[in-house]
Amino acid sequence: MSTAIHHAAPVAAPAPPEPMPAEPNYLNNGYGIWSWLLTTDHKRIGILYLVSITAFFMAGGIAAGLVRLNLLSPTGAIMAEDQYNRAFTAHGVLMLFFFLIPSIPAVMGNFFVPMMIGAKDLAFPKLNLASWYVFILGAALATWSVLVGGIDTGWTLYPPYSTRASQASVVPGVVGVFISGFSSIMTGLNILVTIHKMRCPGMTWSRLPLFIWSLYATSLIQLLATPVVAVTLLLIAVERAWGVGIFDPSLGGDPVLFQHMFWFYSHPAVYIMILPGMGAVSEVITCFSRKNVFGYHAIAWSSMGIAVVGFLLWAHHMFVAGISFYAALLFSFLSMLVAVPSAIKVFNWTGTLYKGSITFQAPMLFALGFVVLFIVGGLTGLYLATLGTDIHLHDTYFVVAHFHFVMVGGMVMGYFAALHYWWPKMTGRMYSDWWSRVAASIIIVGFFLTFVPQFIMGYHGMPRRYPNYPGEFHVLNVMSTAGASILGLGYLIPSVYLTLSLFFGEKATANPWSATGLEWQTPSPPTVFNFDFTPVVVCGPYEYAIGVDQMGRGLPEPPGPGGAEGPSGKVGQTGPAGPMHKETHVVG
Amino acid sequence: VKLLPFIPEQASTLATRFEYLFWYITIVCGVAGLAIYAFMLYCCVKYRRGATTGSTPRILGSQRLELTWTIIPTVIFFSFFGWGVAVFNHAAHPPADAMEVFVIGKQWMWKAQYPTGQRVIIGGNPRNMNESERNSIGRLLLPVNRPVRITLTSEDVIHDFGVPAFRSKIDALPGRYTTAWYHPTKTGEFHIYCDQYCGTWHSLMVGKIAVVGEQEFDDWLQGGNSLQGTQNPVDGSLAFEGRQLFLKLQCSNCHTAKPDARAPVLEGLYGTRVPLRGGGGEIVDEAYILQSILEPRAKVVEGWEPIMPSYKDKVTAEELTALVQYIRSLKRGTTPDRTERFPVPDGAPTQPPQPPISPEKK
Repeated sequence: MSTAIHHAAPVAAPAPPEPMPAEPNYLNNGYGIWSWLLTTDHKRIGILYLVSITAFFMAGGIAAGLVRLNLLSPTGAIMAEDQYNRAFTAHGVLMLFFFLIPSIPAVMGNFFVPMMIGAKDLAFPKLNLASWYVFILGAALATWSVLVGGIDTGWTLYPPYSTRASQASVVPGVVGVFISGFSSIMTGLNILVTIHKMRCPGMTWSRLPLFIWSLYATSLIQLLATPVVAVTLLLIAVERAWGVGIFDPSLGGDPVLFQHMFWFYSHPAVYIMILPGMGAVSEVITCFSRKNVFGYHAIAWSSMGIAVVGFLLWAHHMFVAGISFYAALLFSFLSMLVAVPSAIKVFNWTGTLYKGSITFQAPMLFALGFVVLFIVGGLTGLYLATLGTDIHLHDTYFVVAHFHFVMVGGMVMGYFAALHYWWPKMTGRMYSDWWSRVAASIIIVGFFLTFVPQFIMGYHGMPRRYPNYPGEFHVLNVMSTAGASILGLGYLIPSVYLTLSLFFGEKATANPWSATGLEWQTPSPPTVFNFDFTPVVVCGPYEYAIGVDQMGRGLPEPPGPGGAEGPSGKVGQTGPAGPMHKETHVVG
Repeated sequence: VKLLPFIPEQASTLATRFEYLFWYITIVCGVAGLAIYAFMLYCCVKYRRGATTGSTPRILGSQRLELTWTIIPTVIFFSFFGWGVAVFNHAAHPPADAMEVFVIGKQWMWKAQYPTGQRVIIGGNPRNMNESERNSIGRLLLPVNRPVRITLTSEDVIHDFGVPAFRSKIDALPGRYTTAWYHPTKTGEFHIYCDQYCGTWHSLMVGKIAVVGEQEFDDWLQGGNSLQGTQNPVDGSLAFEGRQLFLKLQCSNCHTAKPDARAPVLEGLYGTRVPLRGGGGEIVDEAYILQSILEPRAKVVEGWEPIMPSYKDKVTAEELTALVQYIRSLKRGTTPDRTERFPVPDGAPTQPPQPPISPEKK
């Protein structure tokens, strides 16, 4: 018997696997300063905007804190009158022009519009980079003038005070806002063209995510209204610098003309601020309810309706400014019309919650907070659109509270919802689930405590922009300041856990929320050109009920009870096997 | 600790109309808002992940519901609009018989002028005024139950004349006139605020409206009692004319509060009883003041020399009335003297009148 001894040839131990090189993505594609400052990648430009507006949000927030602190005492607790006037002007200018207007359009719009419509970049990448430089130039000039020189006119810049009496650096401030307006126009134009021309195959208009619709409406306003404010601001600078009579009656001008021109921009501008928030909320509420959006066309068209009607009601800021009786009637009527699409949106969002499967991660808490606060802000707007009540409430704290409910309760909440929703996609990291929920709750509570007393003060007639006020308003002002300190704390918490998440956060999967949009079809953080393939869209944006994304592929297990442990614990593009398992995976 | 009432004071017909509309909107919006909150809360509890299988129905919307929640809010909003127009119509159109008061805003004071000539500063920042302006800060006096039209303008930048108790507000613009009108229904004192930001002292551009009874108001218009609470008599009033005369005739040379006075100080004298030289006393009323000017030596106050000359032929009857009203209105500490920063009226003699040498030396 021959035995053949087969000696297995000594096999070399398999070479230890090479450590996988980090997936190339937009963040590790160059680390030098110039790779950021000269980038034309829409995602990097979005991050540049994010960093810059965060700085302005903090500066504006500090100014707000100073204003509220000063109001602790009926005669001004910490500041002289002139300093107070400069503080509230700094707050208004920084928050409106350099935080709210660029917040979602320039950060989230830049980052996500191409990704959500399946494009590689915006239509004009270099224009996009230019817009950031223009923004920074204007913002630097304006910030320098509100912080160093000081402007005491209020953000509304009403002449003849702003052109004659005010002894502050109005001209550089106005020029700064003028310059940054161009960045707004560039971004608007860019997004508009991108949405028109660069949608991927299958991404028809009625399959556009509602966020895209809202940015489309926003961009339209940015493009059409901003030139008017540019003209207006330039006229202010001309009158102030060279004494050319445009608005000052003692030079032969007309002060009411300024108000018409200013509000022709600045009223639509509040829709620039709120519409993108509405878009973000539509994304978040559908995702965390696991439901198709209720009334897709109603929400999309109400965005467009707001954008168009929003141009026709500027003079409702001027009911007591001496405009004609019949003009007041007309503008009051038109203001009622714009309330309708806003109401439609609210009803549709609540309709989306119905029969959903709702989880309450931070983005959802912020989005629900948006709806709750926006309802108050929207309904109190009706008092101001109604002539008979506006003649008392005009220019009081009622207006201040209404405006903050819409702009902070609405837009800042919307911005935070968007930031928390897309943070894992932007950075590739998850933030602390618990802390983010705590922060959202604190912000909502602090917000109510800050601004509800202001409604009562306004109803009792306390005027805005008053560092000195009668003693009967003292208690409510103290309550409001107490609320503001809670609110301030609420805003500080995210800055901590979001920063920490960059270094210690868990790595996020491509689709941590199990959302349907195209932006979740690329790794987190996305690759340089967003998609390795050209996405083909086969269905509408919110097919959560069927459980497919826009490309018709199954969704991963969503986070929350019954699913995986944390939002980052899932992988896979093939659909969940657990309780969220869906029968149908592809629709035509 | 001062607390606000539930509903702010309502002191005009407009205020009442405002409140009905305000509470109509509040109740409608409150019910609607709370209903939406309740529905959201219901959904958030009932359809939370833990209570569901995770499967959701594919509901895309409902045309019928969309129409419902478009049409119903539209109708409600238009009801706000219509009612608001009615209230605004009331506020914007003063009745033809309304009395007129002119108000001028400037940085940083409000000045009012009545058709009868009285002019008064009705509010502002005292730190920003000269002494005579400070002494003229008073209240805007209005009669109850009588319509008043306020015509406003501004000397410099845009201001806003807001009176919360009347629920009224209107901008004061440079270079044009705006109007507001009130029908006060209640006497009392009410805030005036500048509601349009106007610079450093914007928050001190506040004043007071005093609504008084019609009788009192008419009395005041005709130069009667001083109701405005200013230190000095109101410009344009009889008492103000009297003050000018008081300075012109140099009454204050002797009737001064200084220690070297040669005659009794007249501050706060009206209505008191003064002891007379040689026994007895006299209540200081209009008749006594008149007599003391025309026949100064008839009833001399105890402790003073009868050195005052008669002014019988030096003042006219109208001037006498003015002087009497001034002395009547003279408050403690407001007797003008030569060191005050008041210009001497035109034509005033620069030397004090020599008291005639009394033949009968007491």
